[in-house]
Amino acid sequence: MTGCIFSIEEFSVYDGPGIRTTVFLKGCPLLCSWCHNPEGQSPNTEIVRSPNGCIGCNSCIKTAVIQNGQLLFTDESIKKCPMNLLRICGEKISSDILCELLMKNERILNSGGGVTFSGGEPFMQSEFLFECLHKLKGRLHTAIQTSGYCSRKIFGTALSLADYFLYDLKLADNALHEKYTGVSNTLIQDNFSELAKSGVPFTVRIPLIPGVTDTTENITGLTHILKSNRVSYAELLPYNKMAGGKYTMLQREYRPGFDERAEVRIRKDIFDKFSIETKIL
Amino acid sequence: MTEKIKALLENLKSREYRKQRITGKTINRENYHALENQAKLLRELADIEKPILFDNDSFGFNRYTDIMVPGRSGNVTMNYEKVLTFGFDKLISDIELSIQKTSDAEKKQYGKTMLDLLYICLEIAEKYKAHAKEKGNTRLYNALLKIPHKGAESFYEALVFMKLCVYVLRLYGVAHLTLGRFDQYIYPFYSKDKETGISDEEIFETLEEFFISLNYDTDLYRGVQQGDNGQSMVLGGFDKNGVSMYNELSQMCMKASFELSVIDPKINLRVGKNTPDEIYEYATLLTKQGLGFPQYCNDDVVIPGLVKLGYDLDDALNYTVAACWEYIIPSCGADIPNIDTMDFPRVVNEIIVSKLSCCADFDALMTCVSQAIAAECDRMIENKKTDVFPQMPLLSVFMDGCIESLTDMWEGGTKYLNFGCHGAGIANAADALAAVKKNIYDEKTIEKQELLDALAADFEGYSEIRNLLKSSPKMGNNDDYVDNIAAAIMTAFSVNMNNRDNGHGGIWRAGTGSAMEYLRKGEKCPATADGRRSGESYSSSFSPSLDVKTTGLLSVIYSFTKYDMTDIINGGPLTIEIHDTVLRNDIGLKKTAMLVKSFIMLGGHQLQLNSINRERLLDAQMHPEKYPNLITRVWGWSGYFNELDVKYQNHIIRRCEYIL
Repeated sequence: MTGCIFSIEEFSVYDGPGIRTTVFLKGCPLLCSWCHNPEGQSPNTEIVRSPNGCIGCNSCIKTAVIQNGQLLFTDESIKKCPMNLLRICGEKISSDILCELLMKNERILNSGGGVTFSGGEPFMQSEFLFECLHKLKGRLHTAIQTSGYCSRKIFGTALSLADYFLYDLKLADNALHEKYTGVSNTLIQDNFSELAKSGVPFTVRIPLIPGVTDTTENITGLTHILKSNRVSYAELLPYNKMAGGKYTMLQREYRPGFDERAEVRIRKDIFDKFSIETKIL
Repeated sequence: MTEKIKALLENLKSREYRKQRITGKTINRENYHALENQAKLLRELADIEKPILFDNDSFGFNRYTDIMVPGRSGNVTMNYEKVLTFGFDKLISDIELSIQKTSDAEKKQYGKTMLDLLYICLEIAEKYKAHAKEKGNTRLYNALLKIPHKGAESFYEALVFMKLCVYVLRLYGVAHLTLGRFDQYIYPFYSKDKETGISDEEIFETLEEFFISLNYDTDLYRGVQQGDNGQSMVLGGFDKNGVSMYNELSQMCMKASFELSVIDPKINLRVGKNTPDEIYEYATLLTKQGLGFPQYCNDDVVIPGLVKLGYDLDDALNYTVAACWEYIIPSCGADIPNIDTMDFPRVVNEIIVSKLSCCADFDALMTCVSQAIAAECDRMIENKKTDVFPQMPLLSVFMDGCIESLTDMWEGGTKYLNFGCHGAGIANAADALAAVKKNIYDEKTIEKQELLDALAADFEGYSEIRNLLKSSPKMGNNDDYVDNIAAAIMTAFSVNMNNRDNGHGGIWRAGTGSAMEYLRKGEKCPATADGRRSGESYSSSFSPSLDVKTTGLLSVIYSFTKYDMTDIINGGPLTIEIHDTVLRNDIGLKKTAMLVKSFIMLGGHQLQLNSINRERLLDAQMHPEKYPNLITRVWGWSGYFNELDVKYQNHIIRRCEYIL
């Protein structure tokens, strides 16, 4: 079957052990206010325009169509741009071709690294994901980077197929989780417990968003979750002020629901208190 | 870093020392290269130049005036080992002996010039000795009591001797002066110091002082741009039995380069399949400094490649690099590794323009391309057969064989006098041919005449065609479609170039470098079928074309290691830019080190890895005053960003357009 991916990134340094290639699957059930990969949110193919180098000739606008009041570029727009600035984001690719592509770099990837499936949320395309994992079993080390937002059944299957997990924990409080990501964290916490019990190696990732996830209450809440699942290590991802950079490309405005300029607080003291080792990425 | 080093470094970086120079002096440049004038001209300079010692300066041999000495060739590695061990007196008696033995008047005259020049060098050293005494600089004074007449005994004396050699050869006009396998030939002096109880800390401080002193006056010694002065140093490597020669001194040099973060010496690291991870990891720390050091050379590829070109195994094992990256043999090699350049994009473009209409299929076109490359090789080889190179007796005395035969290094005095030919724009040429194959022959999306019209119009009014060309397969994506074409043109080049007689007692060697030709040849080359507009630069050396968005670093590495590089081994690295944020912590550092290792394991011959931050470079263009000491790699050398011509600055910025 085919899946929809928006990028393949080679030598992605922070996506699991060793030298890895990361495949970004399109579509995400969450809508995080700080999302730095907005092109991963919609499950559909989109045409994006790089803002750098535009000479303002409008040939892309002239060849665009209007749908539901939104300007949509067409294949013709891509062809007409004299600066070659438009491209399709969200390629349909079969699991066979994708695995073949990944296997081309086998020699480098198999010296301690592998492939990571990220997104969006890779479980949005769970069938496609599982097909890829089946095909790569025993050939390449596989990791899944996930928000954990999926059914227990899907997550259980993933646990039997993937070699490694990168698991995001964002907000401990359910109401706040709903407010900032659009979904409840119940499934996420349930699946996390399953992961912790499974024996499959994993790393927890915590995005530090100023005033949202870096608060004393939230960090304390998260350390409780970690502790109750006997997890003693987490990686911290401080908010990157470049996060809004890709929205222009999608003709969208970046409207984070928090003060972007506020300093990120690295609450190492709280983690230390609960003897949870942390690393800042 | 000790307080003394901190102070020296500050003085260097402030460039205050340059203000002490005497300005307005000139020298006679008439008949500069004539043998009979050489001693006279050096004497004239030696008389104008006066000894000058900066605060805490233990090395001296700095410039007193701002005279730009007219350049002579160079770009070889002299026999430091012999000169530092035995001293000038031994050279002088050897020359005298050779003069006695020969009855050839011309040779006698040549030998006499060698002597005259060496005497002037001795006088220069005498003047420094007196000045050191007067200044109370007993450390330097004591060293100069012995050297350069006699050989050096201690580590410090050896380095003073080196600085003296560098200084006199610079005054003599040698433009590119390489430092060779420093960690090997200086090692005996290091060991002796250790035996006499001198601590590693003291030795390390002396090494750092020496490195700093190599950076003075580089503004007066510029090649194409400031920084292009050839002071490259090679560390590590493996011997005949595969035993690593990376020693305590190699590590000290890496550490000094890391701590000092200055442009000289330029560090090259010889590695191979048995290089331990720790060396790659330390080297990556050095990369993080952003200097463009170290550059990696793969012994497992270079040595067999040099043997194929006819070098004796022992000589090949001892290889070093010239000013940038060309592989040369120290002491006995007077190779000219950059004597000409194969302009791949131009040659390919001429064939496309003249032969496309009559080639029924792509194979026919490729046959024409191969023939044109062969003809271009013939033309270059024929052209250089009768070239005459001005004699350089003062550099020849430091090379093996010239004193014994009283023959200049450029006239066969040394064992090797081979010519190297760069290969510029391989990726652009391969991309152009791949675009033609795809759009004209395979998919027939462009008519032949349409393409020719678009090229002639420099794509003005043909943006759709240009987009088709630009979205065709590109080298750097691990795509055999285009990588096989690159292999075919490299084969046409190497088969028609390697081992052919150069008319000077040596042979030709094909390479993958471009030096400054990625800009210069690019400026003259009309629009090409890869979508490149007229006048735009090629990629630097052996790298993906500019503005090509590759799948990523792994694919780039695969694309550029597919070819058997032992067949095209004149030198010229794959250049990769990594965003400095990748190197922000130990995870990124370790993985980058593994990436370099992968490149070596896959059979890459040479790698130039640069840590770069595009935003910072753009800011430096706007506000140069904020970045007086920002260093960037240019091609085979690194320079201060502010001191580069804007064309080179822009190329560096464009090179990193697509990095992560």
